[in-house]
Amino acid sequence: MILIKLAYKSLLNRRGSAFLTLFTIAISVMLLLSIERVRVDAKSSFSNTISGTDLIVGARTGDIQLLLSSVFRIGHTNNGVSWQSYEYIKQQRGVKWTIPLSLGDSHKGHAVLGTSPDYFTHYKYGKKQTLSFLQGSPFNHLNNVVIGSEIASTLGYKVGEKIIISHGMGNTSFHHHDDNPFIVVGILNATGTPVDKTFHIPLAAIELMHGGSHSPTDHEHEHEYEYEYEHEHDHNAENLIGEPTQITAFLMGFDSPLYTLQIRRNINQYKDEALLAIMPGVTLRELWEMLSIIEKILLLFSGVVVLVSLLGMLTTLLASLNQRRRELAILRSVGARPWHLFSLISIESLLITLLGCLLGCGLFYGLMNGAAGFLQSNAGISITVSWLSHYELALIGAIMAAGFIVGLIPATRAYFYSLADGMSIRI
Amino acid sequence: MITIQKLSFKWHSQQTIPTLTIPSLVIERGEHVFLHGPSGSGKSTLLSLLAGINKPNSGTLNVLDTNLAQLSNRKRDALRSDHIGYIFQNFNLLPYLSPIENVMLGCQFSKPRQKKALQQSDCLEQEAARLLTALGLTTEHHQQNVANLSIGQQQRVAAARAFIGSPELIIADEPTSALDAANRTAFIELLFAQANLVGSTLVFVSHDESLQALFNRSISLVDIMEQAQ
Repeated sequence: MILIKLAYKSLLNRRGSAFLTLFTIAISVMLLLSIERVRVDAKSSFSNTISGTDLIVGARTGDIQLLLSSVFRIGHTNNGVSWQSYEYIKQQRGVKWTIPLSLGDSHKGHAVLGTSPDYFTHYKYGKKQTLSFLQGSPFNHLNNVVIGSEIASTLGYKVGEKIIISHGMGNTSFHHHDDNPFIVVGILNATGTPVDKTFHIPLAAIELMHGGSHSPTDHEHEHEYEYEYEHEHDHNAENLIGEPTQITAFLMGFDSPLYTLQIRRNINQYKDEALLAIMPGVTLRELWEMLSIIEKILLLFSGVVVLVSLLGMLTTLLASLNQRRRELAILRSVGARPWHLFSLISIESLLITLLGCLLGCGLFYGLMNGAAGFLQSNAGISITVSWLSHYELALIGAIMAAGFIVGLIPATRAYFYSLADGMSIRI
Repeated sequence: MITIQKLSFKWHSQQTIPTLTIPSLVIERGEHVFLHGPSGSGKSTLLSLLAGINKPNSGTLNVLDTNLAQLSNRKRDALRSDHIGYIFQNFNLLPYLSPIENVMLGCQFSKPRQKKALQQSDCLEQEAARLLTALGLTTEHHQQNVANLSIGQQQRVAAARAFIGSPELIIADEPTSALDAANRTAFIELLFAQANLVGSTLVFVSHDESLQALFNRSISLVDIMEQAQ
């Protein structure tokens, strides 16, 4: 008890250097916890990008490439799936639903996805959540567009607004489809997936955009006509899908997961066209494994930061030990035994690490609270600001243990400080 | 209380003439002894032997009927913290503790002394405060920063720390060297009063022979050394 009090008062007496040491440890703890939290949550956000889909089918490329292009809208596939193959596979026994996907267009750098209205009922992400609407409803006309939450917030589009969609990926397309304005009819809720950054338009509209060339006047005429037509009669699903020559990929859901492997094999061996079917969960994991080197480097770096902070503590403790010879000798002279001094220094290092860890946790929560919104909207990583997990507690425990072990070095030195020091030292 | 016979001590084994040679010296329980000698006469060396910090090379050194020459470091540590109160020339107070806490420190590493202190008062704080008051440090200074106390006040704190838990032997190493004559006498009389109260033996060391008159016995280290030759 007396030792804890002495350690505390002595540290308080040296609060300047003690606080700096404590602060370095706190920062390293904060870094380690943040990196670990982001890493774990990135992993789960990542694997939550798509769920409830049994197979993704596209032209034959690599598994990961198909996943990247169809789910993450990254990269570009030159080949597609012919509409006949799609129609054929769709009819197979056990197929519950299919969602055709047609990619390749963009608007202000965001992907434009041509799809069927089924997308809004069958596409699932996270823990099998379906997409929900912040405002508006799914498209039901050829010139309707449903936008993701991030597009709505960054570009400021509102329901009812007219937008122009261009051809090709990227911001600086040469050819703009100025002749095809779309009307925003729905804004989706945030999902933390690439859906937030996607324009969803009817599949048939993609074909229409790329359809035959016509003069502007012709077009205006046609357009007016189309408008009137649309207002008079609701398009049915067939009109929205149309009959494109090919699509980029399609998602499939089965009546039972048992069909998955068999249908996958059939598709991969499909004679009329070179197709590839992947199971998104499996491929997501493969992709994550590829990224795991980055994950390991991050972990390594945070580990090194902790190590450096503990070495900093060691330096401070050792340096202060020389200045404290007198203090320690006084303690010896009033009856403290060598092991008392050993315990005193150990308690001090433990106290610094403990307070450093506590402060580090505080900083960590502050950072997480501050950064959660930013990470969600910019990196699509949903951070859970929750109580420390067992894993994180174990990390803190390991830091505490390391701090204690590091503290044993100056403690051992203090142990051997001789009593004679205190008796002869002069002010 | 203290019995020394044929004691000799060298700092280094190569030394030809021992730093300290005492053929015989006996100090009885309850005596107030003035030990004097010029600087370099071996006063500090003798004190370090009495306090069990160093071991004599030869001879016997009995403190409280225990031969220190034959005790292990650990046992000498225990003997010192349980039975000896030491007042340093420079007081050796911890700057980050209050006077009360500094005084309490005197018995916090020794169970027997803690027990004895608690026989006097209900708690250690109370006992520390009692001693400080008895030694002339008024209550307003009890919680003050030690560094802000005057030399005289620090000295009282150092003395109270030596007296807490009523150790059998009090060793005072030139504690009055920074005081003027009037204060010196007053302080020494306070020490006597406290020592008499609990029956402690007091060994007071100084080079200032003018203090000699206050003590009932005085020992000249120079005389002892000459006697040996």
